[in-house]
Amino acid sequence: MALQSFKIAWKAIAANKMRSFLTMLGIIIGVLALVVLVSLVTSATSAVTDSIESMGNDMLTVAVLDDKGNPIKLKDMDDIAGDESIALTTPILQLNGTAKVGNETYDVSVEGTNSAYFSIEGSELAAGRFLKTADLDNVSHVAVVSYEAAEDAFGIDSAAGARDVVGQTALLNGRKFLVVGVLAEDESIMAAMMSSNAVYIPFTTAERMSDSGSGISQFYAAAKDSESVDRAEQALTEALTSRFRGDEDAFRILNQNTLADTMSDVTNIFALLLGGIAAISLLVGGIGIMNIMLVSVTERTREIGIRKAIGARRAGIMLQFIIEALVICLIGCTIGVAASGGIVTLVSAAMPDMTFSLSGGVIVVAVLFSTAIGLLFGLYPARKAAGMNPIDALRYE
Amino acid sequence: MIEFNDVSKLYETDGETIHALDHVSMSIEKGEFVGVTGSSGSGKSTMMHIMGCLDAVTSGVYLLEGQPIENYSENELAEIRNRKIGFIFQNFNLLNRMTIEENVELPLIYRGVRSAERRRLVGEALGQVGLSDRRKHTPNSVSGGQQQRAAIARAIVTDPALILADEPTGNLDSRTGTDIMTLFSELNAAGRTIVLITHDAGVAAQTHRIVRLADGHIEEDSKETKNGAAIF
Ligand SMILES: Nc1ncnc2c1ncn2[C@@H]1O[C@H](COP(=O)(O)OP(=O)(O)OP(=O)(O)O)[C@@H](O)[C@H]1O
Ligand SMILES: [Mg+2]
Repeated sequence: MALQSFKIAWKAIAANKMRSFLTMLGIIIGVLALVVLVSLVTSATSAVTDSIESMGNDMLTVAVLDDKGNPIKLKDMDDIAGDESIALTTPILQLNGTAKVGNETYDVSVEGTNSAYFSIEGSELAAGRFLKTADLDNVSHVAVVSYEAAEDAFGIDSAAGARDVVGQTALLNGRKFLVVGVLAEDESIMAAMMSSNAVYIPFTTAERMSDSGSGISQFYAAAKDSESVDRAEQALTEALTSRFRGDEDAFRILNQNTLADTMSDVTNIFALLLGGIAAISLLVGGIGIMNIMLVSVTERTREIGIRKAIGARRAGIMLQFIIEALVICLIGCTIGVAASGGIVTLVSAAMPDMTFSLSGGVIVVAVLFSTAIGLLFGLYPARKAAGMNPIDALRYE
Repeated sequence: MIEFNDVSKLYETDGETIHALDHVSMSIEKGEFVGVTGSSGSGKSTMMHIMGCLDAVTSGVYLLEGQPIENYSENELAEIRNRKIGFIFQNFNLLNRMTIEENVELPLIYRGVRSAERRRLVGEALGQVGLSDRRKHTPNSVSGGQQQRAAIARAIVTDPALILADEPTGNLDSRTGTDIMTLFSELNAAGRTIVLITHDAGVAAQTHRIVRLADGHIEEDSKETKNGAAIF
């Protein structure tokens, strides 16, 4: 019975190829939108969260908002971060600046920090050396430049070129600095997104160049391992609260885990939103199917009458039209998923930095949703067909 | 087999009421071969649609094998139409999207007959109406007479107890018409009840009982007349 209904449905679809295809198009576009958008967002999300995690989920960022006239000095750091759960800390002082090399000026972000920074970030060198304690002690005018900055300002195009940059000088905010190191290229997506034209100089030097006074207003702390992050956060909170006389609002601690969580929360909402919009377009496609099915029922009124006259039961007629709607939906869905695969492959090829792949979950959702739409929007026309009085249907012209 | 008890069928069109059947009472026994005649619009097709459980009466009772058909559900009626009745429509009512063979096969599909058996029965029915060579054609690519024969094949393929034929020879030349009438006579001889509508007096004469309708009521029934003649 079902097989026969399927054959009949298939004949009806094949008899009106153009119309069937146009009807399907609504479903194809809906599925395409759903699968592509959700797959892209999901792929991007996992790339971003991976990248955040690779930056070390054992990291805490501490910002001092109000130092109560008692700024934190470098030597105070051992005290504040004395807990054994904390492995390393590094101060950060960000300055907006320009770098002048030759006659050209470039916008760079100047980061005053110390040697621990590079260990925490897991940075590698393309050439030269990192900052040293002596650089901070001597308030030296030396700089380690990121690969991107070296590309921009010194025009290098390979790690070998980086070696020539070491020993050159640049004017940072008007002061002459000696380049002592070039970092290796960071290929993570986060780095690509932030496109850091960073130049690292000794914290003490940056302190003098800054006009916001001395002291550490921001530092990173690396926990011993990822299990100790919460404990490290606790220890830092206690130490800073007592330093700032019980004012917990004087500082803020940002947990890298929290950041990753927030990030994936945001992208999940994004995926849901896009998925929702795509689902609406799928729904519109479903209404198109209902419309065509109603036309089809009317057109085939006489056929329905004949079938009933020779013994078709209600269920047989209903099945025929529901299967027709389902087949249209599922063929549309299959084409949509296949086309999505093509588009995602194209996007991946166009953006070699990232890998996009079809999300299996959304394909399942698309198939289920298409099936539901076929059933839902096929039901009413099918009921209409099955409910016809045979003789009235036979008389229909 | 068939019993009409004071059956009326009214049609309302534009406020005007048409009495397609007007208080008709009659019965047809199992195994009869009845010809129904009457002028156009006298209610012949309407009567046949009611007999075939395709249409409901406005008033009165129609009994099929002793059961009033209003007792049956829609699905039961579908089953009755499929198993007991073979219907040949005045305008054939074939499905143009299918081949003649597929059209003839359709009632067997709804009956749940297996594919090999279906093929055998379809071949047999098409042979009986002399249409084996047109089995792969669609109805609109064959002549009117051939369509009529396809419709007959579809009606007899399930070997129904009751065959209702609305002008089955109307489009046939006299030779083919005679062949078809011979076929009906054979089916009747084999115990099938046949009700046949015709305008043709010659065709009507080949049946065993003639019912003549006029304006929705029975004007003459040869059975009554004969019985009446016997009584008086
Ligand atoms: N659906 C309908 N709506 C309104 N009137 C109808 C309908 N069907 C039939 N009639 C009317 O009922 C009457 C009987 O019609 P019916 O089709 O039974 O005639 P018939 O005897 O079969 O005629 P013919 O020999 O031309 O086929 C006619 O007057 C016709 O106009
Ligand atoms: Mg008629």
